[in-house]
Amino acid sequence: MASIAGGNLVLFSMERAQTEVDLAALVERYSRLLFRVAHSVLRTRAEAEDVVQDVFVRVIERRRSLLAIRDMRVWLIRIAWNLALDRRRRIRPEQMDENFAETLAASAVSAGERLEQAQRMSAVLREMERLPKTERHVLLLSAIEELGTAEMAQVLGRSESAVRALLFRARTRLRERLEAQGGKR
Amino acid sequence: MKNPEEAIGKVLAGLRAAEASPGMERRILAAVEKRAAQRPAATPRWAWSVAMAGVAAASLFIAITAIHRHEHPLTQAQQHILPAEPARDAQPATLLSQKPIEYIKAAAPRRTATRIRAEEAVLLSDLRAPSHPAPEAPLTNEEKLLLRVVHSGDPQLIAMLNPEIRAKREAESEAEFQKFAEQSGKEDHESDQITE
Repeated sequence: MASIAGGNLVLFSMERAQTEVDLAALVERYSRLLFRVAHSVLRTRAEAEDVVQDVFVRVIERRRSLLAIRDMRVWLIRIAWNLALDRRRRIRPEQMDENFAETLAASAVSAGERLEQAQRMSAVLREMERLPKTERHVLLLSAIEELGTAEMAQVLGRSESAVRALLFRARTRLRERLEAQGGKR
Repeated sequence: MKNPEEAIGKVLAGLRAAEASPGMERRILAAVEKRAAQRPAATPRWAWSVAMAGVAAASLFIAITAIHRHEHPLTQAQQHILPAEPARDAQPATLLSQKPIEYIKAAAPRRTATRIRAEEAVLLSDLRAPSHPAPEAPLTNEEKLLLRVVHSGDPQLIAMLNPEIRAKREAESEAEFQKFAEQSGKEDHESDQITE
């Protein structure tokens, strides 16, 4: 009886150790990529970090079925992407976009010029949010250097050619709208 | 905007260059482990399977029993409670309901189940029997007297049905009797003195 209990304890410890090692390895390997995915949607460090944390909580919850996942990287990106989109619906993104735009403005210029740059970046972000959903998503994912067209297609559930077409249309539409804004001014 | 393409490129580059604050991996690991520890222990999958199988079996049993009862309530009961004589087979349900215990005793060896079914059959036969008003019971002597008084139409008699009036009336007659008795006593005394 004692030997059975001891064996169970050993197995449990092994499983626990395996889980801990796997989780640490996953966090080490994917957390920065997932952070950028979440940040492209949320444009806030704290919120993006919370999303990455939620992703790994999901990993723990489904640790028994992890072996059935073919492409762990795409699976994690999809979770992060969906969680970030969900979180963006619940927060006030305008304020975050303004803060992010200020960080994009060059620091080695005068205050007036810096303010102007920040306003320009804000306008770009605002117009990006006004794009059709699929175009906006493709454009945001294209900003992540590590993601190729194939992975973007897997994350969004579309074909690679559709992703390329959507990206072209998104950039064209965004450029036209920004030019129209500039013409009005 | 002067150069939209440049602005778009700058925004996308800013998104591309976003870096997490230092120590993010450590914080995430600690937070995830903390949240995992706070969660209640997960119930094993086999336990859920056993529980679901039990619930399904119970539901199936209840459903089959309900359907069975719904479809053959009287037929089964009659099989157990009908008497052996073929000549009396066609007795009405009301007769069956009058002597349920005798029929139950004569039922099949599975006593508990048979008894339950027989009782149910009796209840059902009672339930389905045509309803009649209760037969009239004979009147008591008091009721007969009351009827007679009412039908006579005598106001004095009817007034006597009221206990207060009756008590008053009895008191008056008692007083009259007392008065009469006193008077007759005096007269007897006087007549005795005259004769003496």
